[in-house]
Amino acid sequence: MTGLVADAAAPALPGFPRPRARPRELGLLIAIVAALSVGSLSLGLLRTGRLEPADGPGLLLYAVGLLVAHVVLVVAGRRLDEVLLPAAAFLGGIGLLVMERLPQDLVVQEIGPWTLGLGELQLLWLGMALVVATTIAVGFRSDRWLRLYKYTWAAAGLFLLALTFVFGTDANGSRLTLQVGPFGGQPSELLKVILVVFFAAYLAENRVLLADARVRVVGPVTMPPLPYLAPIGAMLALALGIVVIQRDLGAALLFYAVFLALLFLATGRLSDAVIGLLLFAVGFLALAALFPHVQQRVATWLDPWADPLGGGFQLIQALHAFARGGLVGTGLGAGLPEIAGRPPIPAIHTDFPLAAIGEELGMTGVVAVLAAYLVLVERGLRIAASSRDDFRALLAAGLSLVVGVQAAIIVGGNLKLIPLTGITLPLVSYGGSSLLANAIVIGLLLALSDRGAPPPEPPRRGRLVRFRRRPGVAS
Amino acid sequence: MDAGLNAALWVLRFAFLALLWLALALMARALIRDVRAASRAPAATLGRLVVMTSSGQPPPGAVFALDAVTTVGRDLGSSVVVDDPYASAQHAVLTFRGRAWYVEDLRSTNGTHVNGAPVAGVTALAYGDEIRIGDVRLRLERGRG
Repeated sequence: MTGLVADAAAPALPGFPRPRARPRELGLLIAIVAALSVGSLSLGLLRTGRLEPADGPGLLLYAVGLLVAHVVLVVAGRRLDEVLLPAAAFLGGIGLLVMERLPQDLVVQEIGPWTLGLGELQLLWLGMALVVATTIAVGFRSDRWLRLYKYTWAAAGLFLLALTFVFGTDANGSRLTLQVGPFGGQPSELLKVILVVFFAAYLAENRVLLADARVRVVGPVTMPPLPYLAPIGAMLALALGIVVIQRDLGAALLFYAVFLALLFLATGRLSDAVIGLLLFAVGFLALAALFPHVQQRVATWLDPWADPLGGGFQLIQALHAFARGGLVGTGLGAGLPEIAGRPPIPAIHTDFPLAAIGEELGMTGVVAVLAAYLVLVERGLRIAASSRDDFRALLAAGLSLVVGVQAAIIVGGNLKLIPLTGITLPLVSYGGSSLLANAIVIGLLLALSDRGAPPPEPPRRGRLVRFRRRPGVAS
Repeated sequence: MDAGLNAALWVLRFAFLALLWLALALMARALIRDVRAASRAPAATLGRLVVMTSSGQPPPGAVFALDAVTTVGRDLGSSVVVDDPYASAQHAVLTFRGRAWYVEDLRSTNGTHVNGAPVAGVTALAYGDEIRIGDVRLRLERGRG
């Protein structure tokens, strides 16, 4: 095993590694493409009355994209997880079918000589997402550049968000989109990945202090020493402050939930979870007192029928869609009656794709989508559990939780379980920023799952946390 | 809509849902297999010491599963015996105290270094840290993997 050190010192591109077959991934991808083809056939039969797929070329391109991604991973020869890509492809494929089924003029963009509709644009974004995910999975070798420059990353992310706040374009009363030339994007989607990297790096570096040098608050409730909580708290407060002012409540909820989950994972202290949840309750009450739109969201959630044509409109339509769908749905293409050529839910392709799935594929389809998220989160947590150091463990856990929590927030909102906050359904919703950010997550998780990778280098600095355990310190 | 078309639509609708769940079942089977394989793997330990470089015994690449109190030194009674001319007989002790590992130098002649800095008193370790004793470099890793 003298190779341990030699591997770590080897150049980043050591020629061509030996390909490694990934039969499990291939089998799953084939099963998924088969399922999607049948779905496309059912949509095509309903539309044209002939047995032909609704959008044959689109589906074929998606299948080819998946195959290329699979082949690239095989050729790369790394021992990466084989279920992550199929689980993501499952969600992406269902999203693609839904986007092809919805009215194509919901989003129209002209790129050069082509005018692309909703389904074609989603396919384009999915293709780019596959490129991003496989590039990261194959190219990500060392976590140094993530770990060492954590403040730089966080500052860049916050700067981007602040830029959006100043120069962004308004949509639905919130300023979330940054337009640079023809390209528009929502930086808060990217910020969620950057924040997870920062949280993981900071918590890994200070884990022992945060977990063991406790300060007593009340009775058995303890908290980490404040000076070591301050940097991460300040970063969280900045991120939350910006997104709350931007009225991006879904992102605020997501950031806080992921922060709390990672803090609890790092310290393993129940006190941290209790204090965090109490702070959340206090913060929520304060927000509700300060901002009328928070009160309005809660009122809409409690009783959407109070204002059926205004604030409660989308939610009521979504609930009706789920009710029409029932157990097995109306079938692709048979649901979603249009009002004057528009679907009743204006944001169905971004915030409410689950309502479309619920209506046309029924509860069976909705539960299938939720199960796919469960598979993703389970894989991520398994990768975290088998990581060899703290940073990789926390990063893998944080990345999988950010997808899982985001799905839970928007699914809960669509089903009127929690107040609705505008946020995308990861990997299913239409949208480039959302798809690319989640592609980065999948790519990083794949790279972190590499079981044959050389061990990461130890922290570069000699800085070491030193303290003696005093009898007065609670433990 | 004629009856034949209607029947075909019904078949395709349910075939689509069934195939979606088949794909999920295949994924679930992969997960269950991995869980089974993990449960057959050696039980998780509190931590592992991996030898990165050394001049003699233990050889580089050797892995030690750690007990809650692990002594390191040249003495044959140590939990991890380090045969290095610059190591003391009782060189250092690693202790796991509930949530984290700590290392303490046992007044060795040449000292114990963590990530290049000499250890004074009881010092907290993080997984991934590198401990140097004499010319032997050891890396603390999480217990599973």
